[in-house]
Amino acid sequence: MASVKLTNVVKIYDNNVTAVHDFNLDIKDKEFVVFVGPSGCGKSTTLRMIAGLEEISGGTVEIDGEVVNDLQPKDRNIAMVFQNYALYPHMTVYDNIAFSLRLQKMPEDEIYEKVTQAAEILGITEYLMRKPRALSGGQRQRVAIGRAMVRNSKVFLMDEPLSNLDAKLRNQMRAEIILLRQRLDTTFIYVTHDQTEAMTLGDRIVIMKDGYIMQVGTPEEVFDRPDNLFVAEFIGAPKMNIMKTKLVEEGGEFYVTPFGSKIKVDGEKGRLLKEKGVKPGEVLLGVRPEHMVLADAADAGAISAKVEVNEMMGSELHLHVFTEDGTRLIVRIPTIGLTHEQRESLVNGHELKVSFEGKVMHFFDPETEKNLLYGE
Amino acid sequence: MSSGPTLEKRHMGMTAANRLSNTVIYIILIVMSIIWLAPFVFIVMQSFRVESTWMTGYVMPQKWGFDNYIALGKTDFWHWYTNTFIIALFTAALQTVIVLCMSYTLSRFRFKMRQPLMKFMLILGLFPGMLTMIILYRVLKDLGMTQDNAVPGLILVYIASSGMGYYVSKGFFDTVPKALDEAARIDGATRAQVLWKIILPMAKPIVIYTILTAFMGPWGDFVFARYISMNSTAGMNVAVGLQSWLTLDQINSRYTMFCAGGVIVAIPVTILFMCLQRYYVEGVTGGAVKG
Repeated sequence: MASVKLTNVVKIYDNNVTAVHDFNLDIKDKEFVVFVGPSGCGKSTTLRMIAGLEEISGGTVEIDGEVVNDLQPKDRNIAMVFQNYALYPHMTVYDNIAFSLRLQKMPEDEIYEKVTQAAEILGITEYLMRKPRALSGGQRQRVAIGRAMVRNSKVFLMDEPLSNLDAKLRNQMRAEIILLRQRLDTTFIYVTHDQTEAMTLGDRIVIMKDGYIMQVGTPEEVFDRPDNLFVAEFIGAPKMNIMKTKLVEEGGEFYVTPFGSKIKVDGEKGRLLKEKGVKPGEVLLGVRPEHMVLADAADAGAISAKVEVNEMMGSELHLHVFTEDGTRLIVRIPTIGLTHEQRESLVNGHELKVSFEGKVMHFFDPETEKNLLYGE
Repeated sequence: MSSGPTLEKRHMGMTAANRLSNTVIYIILIVMSIIWLAPFVFIVMQSFRVESTWMTGYVMPQKWGFDNYIALGKTDFWHWYTNTFIIALFTAALQTVIVLCMSYTLSRFRFKMRQPLMKFMLILGLFPGMLTMIILYRVLKDLGMTQDNAVPGLILVYIASSGMGYYVSKGFFDTVPKALDEAARIDGATRAQVLWKIILPMAKPIVIYTILTAFMGPWGDFVFARYISMNSTAGMNVAVGLQSWLTLDQINSRYTMFCAGGVIVAIPVTILFMCLQRYYVEGVTGGAVKG
């Protein structure tokens, strides 16, 4: 249980590549923070700097108020779960979990108690005497978690722990990590490239790109009020539709005009546009696929498009459509509201109209890609 | 059903071809083993011959006995043998530690001079070790480690450059995932503990290989041992000592003892290989990380 504070942390590799730029973050005690971003964004590097596996080129890392820059990993009182499990192949599961405790010179009977308890929680008791090679991927990852669990460390670090598991197992383990977190009640830092994991696990999400923090916020914040275009597109699946369009002002009201349509920016977004003093002109308009709806064919203000691909997901349809100028958009439609005829008709080449309300619109500056309504 | 006979025929054909190639291979192998084994058989036979201590025109002894082996006890043989054993044992122990530490360092640590150092050692290794003989003798003589005191001197010579033999074990360490080191370091292990508790247990075949090669070098060495001991009977190793019996004035009376000595020299190495060979085939890294 500890707070973690990163101040102006920089990582420059020997070949002068800067992997992390000026990283500032305050992680509160018992908080679950997720670093998320595409590969090469510096999220793992940052985690490894906190763990002490990577040298810190600049800035300071504090754990529980103590600067740990020059401490060895073993002196930082952290636990870590690796993507590839990193189990000791020549030891049994029991010995793997007991390894750190033995290094602490803990009495064997205490070790026994701790290991069996952890094994019970993780459901791996029957495998304790096996070698890692005799375990499945999911079981191995449980052992890796068990190894980290028994240490009672201040901070729990996880580096893409679920990436090597198949989709079904990943969902199951994700839920188990939530349970584990409730049980351990310690500070978690979790790295993933999967935005779903980030959204479901994190108290706060740190979205990174090319070594820079793009946004730090709760799952609601980053989803509803993305600071910039990158965050808007990264969070949410399928990703947000971005349309290059003109913002026009008529009679004190704002309208957007994507692909020859004309849709009023009503409600809070319209009010915010006025408040922020946004000038009419070119903007990037973002609308999430689930916020788009099929409009009436007679709706003159809606966007005309043609179906290209129809993905049936079960509870919903993902319609990939293209507009008159060839721009591709994705529309998510719950299947429950569709009649059988409608479902059948949404085939390749089918013409339809899509629309959306003002409250679901996101506006970004075409130059800076910053959110025009939120942020400074 | 119709393809049955054809398949069978083809199968038969393949068996015949296999049998032929196997026969050829076996003949070649048998000839090779005869060529290899003949000298050993010859030496063993000579060592058991009692009727003459000089060379004979036949291989099988006419009179068998342990006379030659017993006679070794009245010479310096066992002194030389002990010398060689001490040298080989110390060299094997020290060289193994040095090589493994060196390999682990070069495999895991990233320091500024790492690449230049490795290149430097590669180039240095291209020069024959004999080149250093004269200067080594000079240095050891000044340290008082030649002739009668050749044993510590030889140990020094053999382990001096052993760090350069890191290639094989570094190659193995490179294949051990770094995540294992990292996991162990986070678990509270020091770098040394990582090496001894995590890496080496997995690297048993390489450790055995390193010990074997480190033992074999000094065990069979002649050139350096001869040079550093410089005609001092007390400082000779077994190879140099035995060779000293092959002079014109001694060879008549000691030829069969020479053979007996040779057989005794081969015994510990043979035992060592027989005990340790099973580790060569053991694979131990399965299940460490996701492949």
